[in-house]
Amino acid sequence: MKERLQELQKTAEEQILACKIEAELQNVKNSILGKTGTLTALLKELPQLAIEKRAEAGKLVNQAKNSLSELIEKRREELKIKESEISSDFDVTIPGKLPFKGGLHPITQMCYDLNDAVRSMGFEVFQEDDVTSELYGFDKLNFPPNHPARESMDTYWLEGHDKGTAAKKLCLRPHLTGGSVRYLQTHKPPYRFVYPGPVYRNETTDARHERAFFQYEALIVDKDLTFSAGKVMIKSILSKVFGCDVPVRMRAGFFPFVEPGFEIDMGCLVCGGKGCSVCKHVGWIEVMPGGTPHPNVLKSAGLDPDEYTGFYVNIGLDRLVMMRYGVDDVRLFHSSDLRFLKQFN
Amino acid sequence: MKLSLNWIKDYVDLPESMDMSKFSYDLTMSTVEVEGTENLADRFKNMLLGEIKEVLPHPNADKLRVCRVDLGDDIYEIVCGGSNLEPGMKVAVAAPGSFCRWHGEGEPVEIKKSKLRGVESYGMICASTEIGLEGLFPLKDDHEIVDLSAFDFPAGTPLATALDMDDILIEIDNKSMTNRPDLWGHYGIARELAALYNLPLKEYAPFETEVAGNLEVEIEDSSRCSRYIGVSMDNVSVKSSPYKIQNRIWKAGMRPINALVDITNYVMLATGQPTHAFDQDTIVDHITVRRAKENETLELLNGKKLNLINDDLVIADGRGPIALAGVMGGCEDSILPTTNKVILEVANFEATGIRRTALRYENRTEASTRYEKALDPERCDLALSIAMDLFKELYPELKVTGYNDNYPEKLKKAELDVSVDWLIRRLGRSLTNDEIASQLGRLGFEVSFDGDKMHVIVPSWRSTGDVSIKADIMEEVARMIGYENFEPAPITTSFDAAINQLDIDLVRNVKEYLALRCGMQEIFTYPWMKDQYANALIGDLSNTMALSTPPAPDEKFIRSSLLPNICEAVAKNERYFDEFSIFEEAQVISSESFISKYDETEFLPKQTRTIAGAFVGNLKDVNSLFRTAKGVIEYMPRFTHMEGFTFVKEEKPVWADETVWLNIMRGDKKIGNLALLSKKTSMACDIKKVAVILFELDTTLFVPFTSRTNKFEHMPEFPIVDYDMSIIFDSNVSWKEIKEVLDKQVAKSPLLHSAEFIDEYHGKQIPDGKKSVMIRLRIGALDKTLTSQEIEKVANNALQALCKLLNASLRAQ
Repeated sequence: MKERLQELQKTAEEQILACKIEAELQNVKNSILGKTGTLTALLKELPQLAIEKRAEAGKLVNQAKNSLSELIEKRREELKIKESEISSDFDVTIPGKLPFKGGLHPITQMCYDLNDAVRSMGFEVFQEDDVTSELYGFDKLNFPPNHPARESMDTYWLEGHDKGTAAKKLCLRPHLTGGSVRYLQTHKPPYRFVYPGPVYRNETTDARHERAFFQYEALIVDKDLTFSAGKVMIKSILSKVFGCDVPVRMRAGFFPFVEPGFEIDMGCLVCGGKGCSVCKHVGWIEVMPGGTPHPNVLKSAGLDPDEYTGFYVNIGLDRLVMMRYGVDDVRLFHSSDLRFLKQFN
Repeated sequence: MKLSLNWIKDYVDLPESMDMSKFSYDLTMSTVEVEGTENLADRFKNMLLGEIKEVLPHPNADKLRVCRVDLGDDIYEIVCGGSNLEPGMKVAVAAPGSFCRWHGEGEPVEIKKSKLRGVESYGMICASTEIGLEGLFPLKDDHEIVDLSAFDFPAGTPLATALDMDDILIEIDNKSMTNRPDLWGHYGIARELAALYNLPLKEYAPFETEVAGNLEVEIEDSSRCSRYIGVSMDNVSVKSSPYKIQNRIWKAGMRPINALVDITNYVMLATGQPTHAFDQDTIVDHITVRRAKENETLELLNGKKLNLINDDLVIADGRGPIALAGVMGGCEDSILPTTNKVILEVANFEATGIRRTALRYENRTEASTRYEKALDPERCDLALSIAMDLFKELYPELKVTGYNDNYPEKLKKAELDVSVDWLIRRLGRSLTNDEIASQLGRLGFEVSFDGDKMHVIVPSWRSTGDVSIKADIMEEVARMIGYENFEPAPITTSFDAAINQLDIDLVRNVKEYLALRCGMQEIFTYPWMKDQYANALIGDLSNTMALSTPPAPDEKFIRSSLLPNICEAVAKNERYFDEFSIFEEAQVISSESFISKYDETEFLPKQTRTIAGAFVGNLKDVNSLFRTAKGVIEYMPRFTHMEGFTFVKEEKPVWADETVWLNIMRGDKKIGNLALLSKKTSMACDIKKVAVILFELDTTLFVPFTSRTNKFEHMPEFPIVDYDMSIIFDSNVSWKEIKEVLDKQVAKSPLLHSAEFIDEYHGKQIPDGKKSVMIRLRIGALDKTLTSQEIEKVANNALQALCKLLNASLRAQ
């Protein structure tokens, strides 16, 4: 009897602990302590025992019953906490859901990143119109009267407004700098502003050339600014975009509206300046033109070039975004192809 | 532009051991961008000049020969299929370890010692195409190997040495020197290097002749031709030029042709000054530089036949045009196979006229590219000296029969006064007068000082516009010091006030709201529209402007609405996606009014910053698509902090569906539309499978709040119950009407807080002509918990009002 009891108790304990859900535990409880349960059966055998053994056996069986009941209740509490509706084959490796589907154009993203950076340096953000006149597109920017960029092979002139000169001749803006002159004319120095926007050129398009692209112009004008002040501005902007300290160099370059003009290179981030295919093995990548606004440009904005000077850079946003993501065809930016645009959200 | 370092060294004594990476760096940082340098000898590694001793038949192949070739140290057997193999011939041998292009095709492959049809061959005897020299040694037939017998070097000489290929090729980015016409040639770069490294530059004495004046040259339009030198010469002939000249022309990227043409090209590549040679015998009367007459014709050397216009400048003789000035010679009067007398032209033409003509006939040439940059007329002297030296060298019998230098007005050198104090302040670095004078002097500037004033005379080669103001002088000094030698200077700030640009911030908020909260994708499209979409979306195109030279014939209209391009984007994406939403923010342009706030003479068309978008979804569920779109517009002001919008139905957009459209108002101003694209417009846009809800908003009429305006409300202390009712209405009763009734109830009953639309249902269980609307009432008291009887009473009052006023009934459960 005693051995059978021990055997039964051991099996029952194992069964109880093996239960995973409450319902299962209830079944186990019935099979042990219920009317036809194994322990109940044992209890029913007691009267058949010899009287002297009966008391002890009864005590043992009751002990076992109490201990098992206690274990069942304990297990029940455990299961209450543990138990959930969720099946154990729930697959946690299924990918998560995209929180939302929309996003800003990668060029807008870059533009806003830059706005945040320059605002922290006290720059205003300026916007101007897409259609401008030859007066602001070229004349005030020191483009000589015969400059090739004025021709229809390079600039989109507007039908019916393409025969006059200066303020009467209209085009889609070929660059932002003319708009900057508008800003200078209507604000008081010192100036510190950026001017993002699309510009348009009559070009043959390919993977590296577009008819519509985005520029980001930054201009500071103050008294006796040395041209090397521009280096600080450029370094701040590039470091913000690429998230690390970017080496910068300025070298001779020519644009009608600056004097002196620079080509500004950044150290190649792919090879760290050692030379690779991205930077054509020179360690530097040309990112923007810049320079001191030409005295004629300052004059056309009503400033005395002997008193005021400044520094200007014009960042090609398309190119910067292409470098940021490794995009190899500039035309994709205007494709409105969602399969492309969604990659940057 | 391609340059040969050896050629540059003709003019400036660069150190023998010039470090090419330093050379590139210095030139790039100070002057022009060096795109790359190449040691030309590397291409000819392990190639030797060989001399064929014997040509033996190949035992196993009819078309192959076994040549015994002297390579200096020994005689080697080389198998070759060349058609012109002869004993005694000198040939180019690609020994094992060299790289050749097999039969002149594909990538170079390494040559190894190998057996050809059973006979061991020590490398190969090359055709010119196999070693990249077809430009110098054109193939006469496919199987010809290059005959180098004329090269007086012993067998075994490295091929690079024998062919004068021990040289460095320098590639310069043309874009970086558009403003520096003086640099377009070997001499110009040499002059710049002489300045950078402070080395002497070779000078040329001007050409002199006793026959001066013996040739008539007339300039009719001196504004387009400031100088014309003509030299007539007898006793010349068409023959090959010496290898040295051919070699240099080839290195600079052109093809040698014959000695007379080669001289003119050589001079151009040396000095940047184009020259031309005419056959003297074909010229009738004398040379005149004049504007073409309308419809005069000219056939160019390349066979193009031109109908000229008056803007073209030509060189003409008594009969008519013989050359398109500064662009290309005519085919009848240039060098002919029989030419034995020439007139050499060294002239200066005005830059933009040359550019116009070259572009007009799509005929840009090496010459026109250089003239376009504005050459200085003084350079003609250098070009003439070098040209005449070559003529005399190549034609010892040459006789100069006539010469005329027609130079009506000498070039005036630019002169500038610069304050030294100004220069130093702008550079941010102190310099003595001597330092400034020495830097500028090396570049050819003459400098004198008078107190603070520095007087600068610009050299002729920088006086055609390049250097004209004092900032140019600052640049010259700065680049001679080296830009990298200026430390970045901090920018000092003055703190006036925080930047506060509400308008610009608001547009950004709206774009971020659409993209990030509403899940729309921003797109960019071009400012021009395809006719198909412009016609479909814009009813009246009379205020829509157009481009005079559009990117394509059907893309002339400039957008006066963003919707045509949005619809084009929908049509493009419909192929890949069933459901999406897009928006664009850009300016739209209209000729309805003209104004400029900057200049009273300027008249700019009306330009309006606009946001437009499309919600694209299932044709069967326009209802929910519309509700989504309307929600985006409705909640925009609340989430972007601006004055709110209302909706009215006053003026249906032309592209909109008959029923599903709204005008969007801010106060009493109409700021945009929201509507379903009509079936007709949709078809005109080739949008086939989807429903499209469009909106367009004029952002300039947005009124931003100066700060956030959300208001705090206390959370209720006692429960507020959501009480939902489904109510049957006639299907023409609008929510607006229902809402008006309910709002009155809300105003009347302090226990009824709000009534909201939940859902609308048409279907089987609802009788025809009826609809079921589910309404949620929010019922509760501020000071106690309501009993269910009290709640029912409030709800019932609302229901009764609807029943009475709108003929509604409670839907049976």
